[in-house]
Amino acid sequence: MKLLLMGSAIRGLPVVSIAEGEDVAEVRDIIYHAEAGTVVGFTLNKRGMLAGRHKHVLPIEQVHAIGRDAVMIDDQHQLMAPKQAAEAVASPETERNVIGNDVLTEAGVSLGQVKDVVVLAGAGGDVVGYQIELPSRGVGYIPLPAQLAVSGTALVVPSATAEFVVNDLVGLGAAVDDFRERLGIQ
Amino acid sequence: MSERFTAAQGRKVVSRASAEELGSVSRLVVDTATRRIVLVVVGKRRSARVVHWDDFSGFGADAAIVGEDTSLREPENDHEQAGAKGRLELLGARALSDRGNELGKVDDVLFDPDTGALEAIIVGDHEAPASSLLGVGSYAVVLRADDSEPADGQPQRASSAPPG
Repeated sequence: MKLLLMGSAIRGLPVVSIAEGEDVAEVRDIIYHAEAGTVVGFTLNKRGMLAGRHKHVLPIEQVHAIGRDAVMIDDQHQLMAPKQAAEAVASPETERNVIGNDVLTEAGVSLGQVKDVVVLAGAGGDVVGYQIELPSRGVGYIPLPAQLAVSGTALVVPSATAEFVVNDLVGLGAAVDDFRERLGIQ
Repeated sequence: MSERFTAAQGRKVVSRASAEELGSVSRLVVDTATRRIVLVVVGKRRSARVVHWDDFSGFGADAAIVGEDTSLREPENDHEQAGAKGRLELLGARALSDRGNELGKVDDVLFDPDTGALEAIIVGDHEAPASSLLGVGSYAVVLRADDSEPADGQPQRASSAPPG
């Protein structure tokens, strides 16, 4: 089965170097590329309470795996000064932040507002869905296609998305595959 | 016969030259690259001394025998210092897979007392082969994930997929 992780659960995870067995940093925030539907990197804090911001960033290409308990990197040299990293990681477009955006289907129906992103565990940082605040029934999860249109206030998803709204992360794992199969991707 | 880290702790260290008991084993320090014991720590805290594995003439069930009293020495480089202070301790360490999932705590380590080569790392009821050891540090012992762990993006649906 697929392991899916909430963005909120990834924030604060230790960044651990495999070769050294050390926690070299922790995740401060996720840098998300909404149109591409992927995590492009992480901003970092130093380890420990009140330790403050880490001056380096971690591009997703340098990540060995995102797991339930840690973000794994091969060794401590995977952390980079922002100026060495790609533009999308060094200066992310914060206006593209999707949290709070209205999710509209192509048919013009609002499914709710984005509360969090759902990331596939492993190496790629694939964002496979969103946790959304449903207008009537509390919290739900929707699968995402590989790419979608994002404006900064709203994002437009295929109409079929409405049929794949599920109540929990476990359901989302199965819904993602079925949904993408329906759309003819993957 | 394999030996266990938990059984080796507390073993007396005796000098072959003087037959004096020099102390007892407190820690075993492992080299990740070769997956062998490289250093044995004798005594604790400020009185901790180290012996290189190659300076033992035998690591027996009743005593570990070193050549000379002077085989016991102060830790020299950073790696030895870290080892003597317990920052490279395997026993009780957090075991983390390279997929970023915690597996539990390291309960014991099996090794060959003739060569110092590690054989297995025991985490709960799981025995990981020594070849899965990737890193040892103050935060975690990192083990290569095995196939029983939840997948990392490769959908494991081959058996349930419809034909064609």
